[in-house]
Amino acid sequence: MNMRIMNNKLQMLRNKYDVKDDGVILDGSILKLTGGQCVRLLPWRVERRFIELKKIIEAKTLEDVSTLRFAVMSSSESLKDLLFREFDLCEFLGASRIVRAFAVMNGDDVANILVKLADGKSCSIECSAALPAGTERLDRHEIIARRGVACDRTVDTQVPQSSIYVFGKELETHYTDTDAELFGLCELEILLVRSAMQILQTQALAVEWNAATERIEKIIDKTLQNADRQPAFFEEA
Amino acid sequence: MMKPIKIAMMSLTHGHTRKYYQTLRDNPKLDWVASCSEDQQSKDVYELYKTGVPCYMSAEEMFRKHPDIEAVVLASANYRHMEQVEQCAERGIHILSMKIPTFDMAEYDRMIKVVDDAGIVCQIELEMHYNPVVKRLKQLAASAEIGKIRSFQATNITLSPVWAFPWQGIPEQSYGRRVPLRVGDARFRGGALCDHPHIFDLIRHLTGSDFEFVYAEVAPNIRPDIEVEDMIMLNGKMKDGTAFLFDPSWSRMEERLKVPAAGWEVFPKRMEVNVSITGEHGTIMCDCFGPNVYHNGAPNDRYTVQYTYFDEWVGLIDEFVDCIRNNKQPLINLRWHRQTIAAMNACYQSIESGKIATVK
Repeated sequence: MNMRIMNNKLQMLRNKYDVKDDGVILDGSILKLTGGQCVRLLPWRVERRFIELKKIIEAKTLEDVSTLRFAVMSSSESLKDLLFREFDLCEFLGASRIVRAFAVMNGDDVANILVKLADGKSCSIECSAALPAGTERLDRHEIIARRGVACDRTVDTQVPQSSIYVFGKELETHYTDTDAELFGLCELEILLVRSAMQILQTQALAVEWNAATERIEKIIDKTLQNADRQPAFFEEA
Repeated sequence: MMKPIKIAMMSLTHGHTRKYYQTLRDNPKLDWVASCSEDQQSKDVYELYKTGVPCYMSAEEMFRKHPDIEAVVLASANYRHMEQVEQCAERGIHILSMKIPTFDMAEYDRMIKVVDDAGIVCQIELEMHYNPVVKRLKQLAASAEIGKIRSFQATNITLSPVWAFPWQGIPEQSYGRRVPLRVGDARFRGGALCDHPHIFDLIRHLTGSDFEFVYAEVAPNIRPDIEVEDMIMLNGKMKDGTAFLFDPSWSRMEERLKVPAAGWEVFPKRMEVNVSITGEHGTIMCDCFGPNVYHNGAPNDRYTVQYTYFDEWVGLIDEFVDCIRNNKQPLINLRWHRQTIAAMNACYQSIESGKIATVK
């Protein structure tokens, strides 16, 4: 990640949309606000596919959500980092707190987890940090309701699709660009800049995101400590 | 911070009208001061969105009450464009026109003169240029990755908007005149082809060449009760030798809603622009509006694509603002766009004659 370019882009957006508050994105997904406060960025919360999935739920396109089925596999992120995103997405998309989780592991880089939300929804998370080096992240987020199913992967596919495939002189390459204003940054850089911008535009989110971070980190630690033995329980409030 | 441009919307009858609401509000370089509606029905639909921007029933009233309007979005049917361009030009008001200024080439040339004489900006709304996938596609096509383009296929296929925007099914209002497709055919010019200029424009940008000839075929309508074509395909050649094949049909069936809403589509994906390019050294396949998210929920419990691509209007408006404030010519200006319209007209000529039509 190129922090200098990311921060330049953040300033470009601030100027364009006339946002008064300011801050600097630091390594480790942190936004340091001008006043000194640090905010853990939750970039997936501004990712368009998750915003649309949330919209589908909130608009009652799906009625009575029952189950979330998530999967993520990566070669470059730790198991804890992967779980952090997926656990937060459980609460973000499920709109309820995690109250119970049970992980089954084999080694320290794979985990199969069942999660229960306070309102009764179940979530499954297939998580692997054991993809061969150089393989791009694979993931899937499916939401099953009494009325309707929503997913960020189309029916009859196993791996993410791209917008563009190039069958050129070398190996096949592919591209998925989602943001014209931040064109040229990689997907993670775009999401970090967008999430930092969201904090600058709505500072109340800083408290919410930091609280979520603190809670999710505790949930992950306890879930992994209890792995293979017993479910871990958490307070709803 | 530069002074915001006081902008208005006119007519509100075009299918893209609602796409502007958010960006006109969000962009601090704009001050959206007024709208005027062509008819009560369009005003009623406009009111549903609660923009808070006053809406008048005539352009004259709007201009009288807001003499400081600097720019307008002409969100109107094609047959209204010439008159509205003149109305704006005489007031020195800059114009963002919908994608078809006019199909009448004499009128088109008059429009160019009116705009030139008034010294105003007239940008044509071809929003795909502000789509991030198209940005990448342009970059790849310009690189040496696949070499010189030899062949180009593109779809610009959608549902038909005629039930919500009836003018798109009325030949005089869409094409500008009532012209039969060909002898013995009960249909008229003005349907799906008129709705889909994007791929005609895109190939010109990607090849850097212009059209040499086109050959077009219409198929039986899948909506037999409309009087314009809904299924059309064409092929042809660019001046640089690139062979192309386009499908600009209304081949995705829709529910006949009066106001676009969830559940409009019958086919899961209501709009697709896919491009395949074969070059001397390789091939590119591109879906300009994908991947997305998918569901089979309310209101019809049908498998449906929920789009994650819709920021084109942000870049489009940014360019319009930049052109006005910095006295620039838009990428898609009237002169550039003339060849695109001429190629679309040539498709109709080909259908009429059954032969290839040279694009002039």
